[in-house]
Amino acid sequence: MADASYLPHEFQYSSARHQAETAIAGMWLFLATEMLFFGALFLSWIYSRHWNQAGFDAGAQQTNLTIGTVNTAILLASSFVYSAGLAFIEIGNKRRLIQCCAVAWMLGFAFLILKFGVEWHGDFHKHLFPGSHFAITGPLSGGAQLFFIFYFVGTALHGLHMIGGLILVGWIILRARRDEFSPGYYTPVAAVGLYWSFVDVVWIVLYPLIYLVGRGP
Amino acid sequence: MTRRLRQLLLAWILLMVLLAIEFGASFIPLGRSARPLVLIPAILMVAAVGTLFMQIGREIAVVRLFAAAGLLWLSILLGLGSLDPLTRTDYHVQAANPK
Repeated sequence: MADASYLPHEFQYSSARHQAETAIAGMWLFLATEMLFFGALFLSWIYSRHWNQAGFDAGAQQTNLTIGTVNTAILLASSFVYSAGLAFIEIGNKRRLIQCCAVAWMLGFAFLILKFGVEWHGDFHKHLFPGSHFAITGPLSGGAQLFFIFYFVGTALHGLHMIGGLILVGWIILRARRDEFSPGYYTPVAAVGLYWSFVDVVWIVLYPLIYLVGRGP
Repeated sequence: MTRRLRQLLLAWILLMVLLAIEFGASFIPLGRSARPLVLIPAILMVAAVGTLFMQIGREIAVVRLFAAAGLLWLSILLGLGSLDPLTRTDYHVQAANPK
C-alpha cells in the first residue's frame, strides 16, 4: 500500500494505513474460509473418482475441452488486466484503471457466456445432466453421473462467485468514475483484486479436475 | 512501462506457458491412477497467481498468517478426507447363493 498516513480514517484505527491493512487482512481471512468452502468440493472429486475411476473418466471425456481451455485463458487474462489496473492507480493513472477494470469485466462476462450460454447449453442438449435420460448407459453410467454432479455443482458455485466478482468490479468502475481513488487511497481496488484473482485460482484447479485428468489417450 | 507492469506481463506469459504445458501433459499416456499428475502445472499456476498477482509476499505478517492457515486447514481437510479412500483395502466377498 502507498503511504496513506495523511488521509482521514475511522476512530478505531491509528492511521489510514492501519485501516487499509486491516481491510486487506479481512479480505484474506475471507479468502481463507473460501479455500475450505471449495476444499470440500475438491475432496468430493478425490473420493468420487477413487471409487469410480472408469465411469468418472468416461464422464470427463464428454466435456468440451476447447471451451474449458479458452475460458481458462480468458480468466488468466482478466486477472492480469485487473492487476495492471491496480498498478496504474498506484501511480495515479485513473483513466487506465477504469479501462483495465472494464476489460477485466468484459473478459469475466465472456467467460460466463461461454460457460453457461454455450457449454452448459450443449451439455443439456447431449443429455449429460444426471437423471433418468442420462446419455451414458451401462456399467459406467453411475460413475459418469457422479462426475457430472461434480461438474454442474462445481461450475455453478464458481459461476456464482464470478457473478459476485462482476458486481464488485462494476462497483469499482463506478467509484473510479466518481474520482474516489488516488495513489493514497485505493484499498477497495486492491481488495476486489484479491477476490477476482481468487476466483481465477479456483478455476485453475477446477480446469484439470473437469477437463484434463479423465481425458487420457 | 513501469517495473510492476513489466512484472505482471511476465507473470501472465508464465501462466499461459504453464497452461500450455498442462494442456499438452494431459495427452501423455499415463495410467488412470497416475493421471492426477497433470495437476502439477495447475499447482504452479496457483502459486504464481498468489505471489505475482495477489502479492502475498508484500503483505503484512497477519495476512501471510491467514493465507498459511487457509492452506494448512485445506491440507488437513484433503489429507484426512483422502486417507480412507486411498488406504482402504477392499476384500472380495462371495455373494451367498440363494437357496
